[in-house]
Amino acid sequence: MLRNSRPKVSVTLCGILAALLVLLVGTAALSAKSLPPIKIGAAGPYTGDVSKIGLDGLNAIKMAVEEANAAGGINGRMIEIVEADDAADPAKAIIVAEMLAMDRNVIGVVGPMNSATAQAALPTYQRAGLPIISQSATYPQLTEMGYDIMFRICPRDDAQGPASAEFITEVLQAKTIYIIDDKTTYGQGLADQVEPGLKAAGVQVLRGQIDIADRDFSPILTRVRAAEPDLVYLGLANPAQAASLIKQAAGLGLDVTFMGGDGLKEKDQLIDGAGGLAEGMYVTSIGKDIREVPEAQAFIEKFEARYGAMSVFGGQSYEAAHILIDAARRAAADPMAINRSNVREAISKTTGYEGILGFPISFDAKGDVVGASIFVYQVQDGEFVPVAEYAATVPGN
Amino acid sequence: MEQLISQIPQQIVNGITLGSVYALLALGYSMVYGVLRMLNFAHGDVFMVGAFTGWGVLMLFAKGGQVAMPLLVLAAMVLGAIGATALLGAGIERFAYRPLRGGSRLVTLISALGVSIILQNAAMILTAGRAKTIPTELLIPQDMVIRFAGATISATRLAMVVVSVITMALLDAVVLKTRFGRAMRATSQDSEAAEYMGVNTSMVIAITFVLGSSLAGLAGVMIGLYYTQVDYMIGFSAGMKAFTAAVLGGIGSFRGAAAGGLLLGLAESFGVLIAPPVYKDAIVFAVLILTLILRPSGLYGKPSASRA
Repeated sequence: MLRNSRPKVSVTLCGILAALLVLLVGTAALSAKSLPPIKIGAAGPYTGDVSKIGLDGLNAIKMAVEEANAAGGINGRMIEIVEADDAADPAKAIIVAEMLAMDRNVIGVVGPMNSATAQAALPTYQRAGLPIISQSATYPQLTEMGYDIMFRICPRDDAQGPASAEFITEVLQAKTIYIIDDKTTYGQGLADQVEPGLKAAGVQVLRGQIDIADRDFSPILTRVRAAEPDLVYLGLANPAQAASLIKQAAGLGLDVTFMGGDGLKEKDQLIDGAGGLAEGMYVTSIGKDIREVPEAQAFIEKFEARYGAMSVFGGQSYEAAHILIDAARRAAADPMAINRSNVREAISKTTGYEGILGFPISFDAKGDVVGASIFVYQVQDGEFVPVAEYAATVPGN
Repeated sequence: MEQLISQIPQQIVNGITLGSVYALLALGYSMVYGVLRMLNFAHGDVFMVGAFTGWGVLMLFAKGGQVAMPLLVLAAMVLGAIGATALLGAGIERFAYRPLRGGSRLVTLISALGVSIILQNAAMILTAGRAKTIPTELLIPQDMVIRFAGATISATRLAMVVVSVITMALLDAVVLKTRFGRAMRATSQDSEAAEYMGVNTSMVIAITFVLGSSLAGLAGVMIGLYYTQVDYMIGFSAGMKAFTAAVLGGIGSFRGAAAGGLLLGLAESFGVLIAPPVYKDAIVFAVLILTLILRPSGLYGKPSASRA
């Protein structure tokens, strides 16, 4: 019995080996035609109060990926998007960061969009060595904490704040300013960056806070009215909340000029939401309105034909996705050798990327964008009209 | 200091406006507590549904950024919201509370919390968690205001207070003068005895729920016009404030609820004169705690041994 069974075993063994060989050759032949896909994460608020901004960002990222895939993906590997909804909530941002970190096929992330979510999720991305390019997280500290995976294509609030203060004191020549913030990392952070410049110019500054979940602004607005300021600065993250505040101010007979940061530059939520009462208001922007950039026209047309009116960070998201894809293409000659570490390296070497934002993009050693500008817009006849431009110089750089 | 004093007239107006909404909500809370001895924690979310219904009706009529007949649309919003919340209230009573009647009070309380969570999450999913802006300028221009003794009273606020006062006067008449009102008071005093006297307490409870929910629906439309936006979370804090107002007035007492609502609105507004406005909700809960410590039966409540 034993003796008889031996040849049988070797025959079976030969069969298995042959099958394996066929399989190996087969996959090798197959992979020459279609390589496995590569993934990029898209982290942002796709539900919740600021989801309009988030979803426009996500749609713009989708368009960038579609274009890249039509052009052969990343060196032959098709790109897939992993959607990571953080609802602008720092706790959720950590959970989705863990999810992206665990998927080894994710080689980079576009986002997070909010300062608070970026701040919370950064340690997780750093541990995973997963590079991120934020399109809109402007809180200065984010690139000051020594995380080498953090890049952003937006200028920081310590550039936006002083520029706003300069505009308020020199152009508007306001003497008394009431600053209202919403206690968020972004809102309060930006307000903190506006205040020193005002005080240095001898302007009287009063401050008050609301909560980002507040709906009744009569208490704070009654105080504002009693202080009779020349200007009310809104350090708010949610343009719909700002619109509501402006409407309630009118109901209290408060006739004052408002100004806000980049997060409020949202036509349908701020201008249309305020029902004509935002007229004359100023907002700063962390980038040129891409409607004024010739290279962006094709993108805007295509986007708006598919998804309707684009909000403020659509162009930034599209650009960030393209920079990430461009870096991944440069990361390694062998498409299968592209990984988080060489993608991070390639992003840091991005120099003079000419996209749709109207200026060539490079990163400094901290991961901050170089060469950006801060723009001031005013609401005139229901549209944002540019009225001033300031170079985004970061102190200490 | 001078600045502080100059704010007083406006804060009185703010307080009365808020108070009129709290009073309507507290009435619903108190009515249901009166007949059922249960805290209807879903009340705030019924209010939220009312606010969304008002918004939905307005959107239906607001074509191309215009509304043909603002006053008619306003009436349609109120009627739509009242209809929707009345139906919702009847449904909640029938399916979430009636099957549990006779059981422990804790059971109905938990059921109420369950309904609240369901309504809140349903609204969150339907709206993707995003606040809906109410184009109030199509109905009443936001800057249509009266200035009086240092206070600014907008047309919206005036309408809110007037509607609220009329509604409460009507309700008072219903409770004190009609046959149903008597049956309701009887049920509230002692439901078993009322049943022996031929009162259909089940019917009374159902109608009370419908009435209370309708008031919440009306309050929802009013707060939507006042805040100029609605979101799925507005029911939570509104519900807590209505509960506080009801306790302050003496839970189970109708006039107490109205007075409690008004007082709470004023307390909130005067509190923010001194404390930073961001603490306005904390002030409300301080009032609740103080009431529970100093006068647990509330302003109008009588300490009752049989219900202890």
